[in-house]
Amino acid sequence: MSRYPLLPFTLASIVALACTTDAFAHCFVGARFFPATLATDDPCVADEMSLPTASWSKTADVPPAAEWDVSGEISKRITENFGLSIGETWSQIRQPDGSVAAGFQNLETTFQYQLVKDRSHEFALMAGLIVEWGNTGATNSGLGTSYSLLTPTLYFGKGFGELPDTLSWARPFAVTGQVGYEIPTSSFDFTESAFIPQQAVYGASLQYSLPYLKSEVVDLQLPDFFNHLIPIVEASFSTPVANNFGNPYTTTGTINPGVIWVGGYFQVGLEAVIPINRESGSGVGALGQLHLYLDDMFPTTVGQPLFSGASAAPRKMTF
Amino acid sequence: MRIVTFATSALLAIMLGTAADAHAFLDHAEPRVGSTVPTAPRELSLSFTQKLEPAFSSVEVTDADGARVDLGKPSVSASVMRIKLKRLSPGTYRVRWHALSTDTHTTEGSFTFQVGQ
Repeated sequence: MSRYPLLPFTLASIVALACTTDAFAHCFVGARFFPATLATDDPCVADEMSLPTASWSKTADVPPAAEWDVSGEISKRITENFGLSIGETWSQIRQPDGSVAAGFQNLETTFQYQLVKDRSHEFALMAGLIVEWGNTGATNSGLGTSYSLLTPTLYFGKGFGELPDTLSWARPFAVTGQVGYEIPTSSFDFTESAFIPQQAVYGASLQYSLPYLKSEVVDLQLPDFFNHLIPIVEASFSTPVANNFGNPYTTTGTINPGVIWVGGYFQVGLEAVIPINRESGSGVGALGQLHLYLDDMFPTTVGQPLFSGASAAPRKMTF
Repeated sequence: MRIVTFATSALLAIMLGTAADAHAFLDHAEPRVGSTVPTAPRELSLSFTQKLEPAFSSVEVTDADGARVDLGKPSVSASVMRIKLKRLSPGTYRVRWHALSTDTHTTEGSFTFQVGQ
């Protein structure tokens, strides 16, 4: 008997519901839909919620510890082009000797502004400022810090829909990415007796959209489940670039191959987490996420910007 | 246990209680996206995943030279949009559509089909 007897029923219900909500949603740029990526962020301001995002990995320690991270994030448009995200992560690190450290990481907020949404070129550009607030996490467990981190970030997304007919099979490809510069509010950590480096934090995704293949290139009449899949490879890195005295300037990060299933009101993503070097972790981990499209679930209430009223009035489409 | 039960139940309630429409996405077309048909169709049919607002949904069909080959205004019934076509000669034709679902979400797309080649 399962410890959670309702869980299988609930998951089954969600899957069943997914099969009946045969629509797509959210970050549309022309004919392109950019799904919410798991390790990086998509290039759109939106009303959305990731709950939960769960990951398991082994740390870079010798011997490695096992780490669980469970997080939630909600994003809300304040105006049509300006949004705010609030996220929190609970972590548990179990050492090989059985000792456990658990608690919340620092509270994270992100302010985002949509700079460009070019429908004809399937191109999106967004600017953001990520703030991890000091003293809001479990500093005693080493999961939170006493200082804050500020990361100005640029996000982009580009679909390959403009490729010529001879390369039509490649049109479902798209890339997204983000580049940021992480600045701590303190230069020295007296608890760890170490300098706190400024870091370049960056990542990207390469994705192939089967929904795009079906509706824009060729309808292969695949089973409906496959027409909702977006195979994806994400990469996420950080490189110390300043104030790193006495430490190596080693880039750490992961490569995450996986797949996202896109439904009408939510998506489900699952990725493997492969460290790029020994300093990034030990062995292959896993990352999963349930992501809700609030703008499609509640189009007249929660799914609207707080200010500027409803979304722009419908345009009469003319050719 | 109680937290898990509550959270999953709440999630399910949210999902099942959501009667709102979402973006209208092209479910299938006739002629099919990317297909080759042996005889010229007299009509193009686009079936979407949501009901459409007729006044704000449109479609055009052009030949390889960019000339319009559709006839009249499209008709919209629930989630299906149709438009009559001129007599098509063998060749490649491009379909461009815009759709507005009944909850004001807009979507758009384009694709080609071939006749008799």
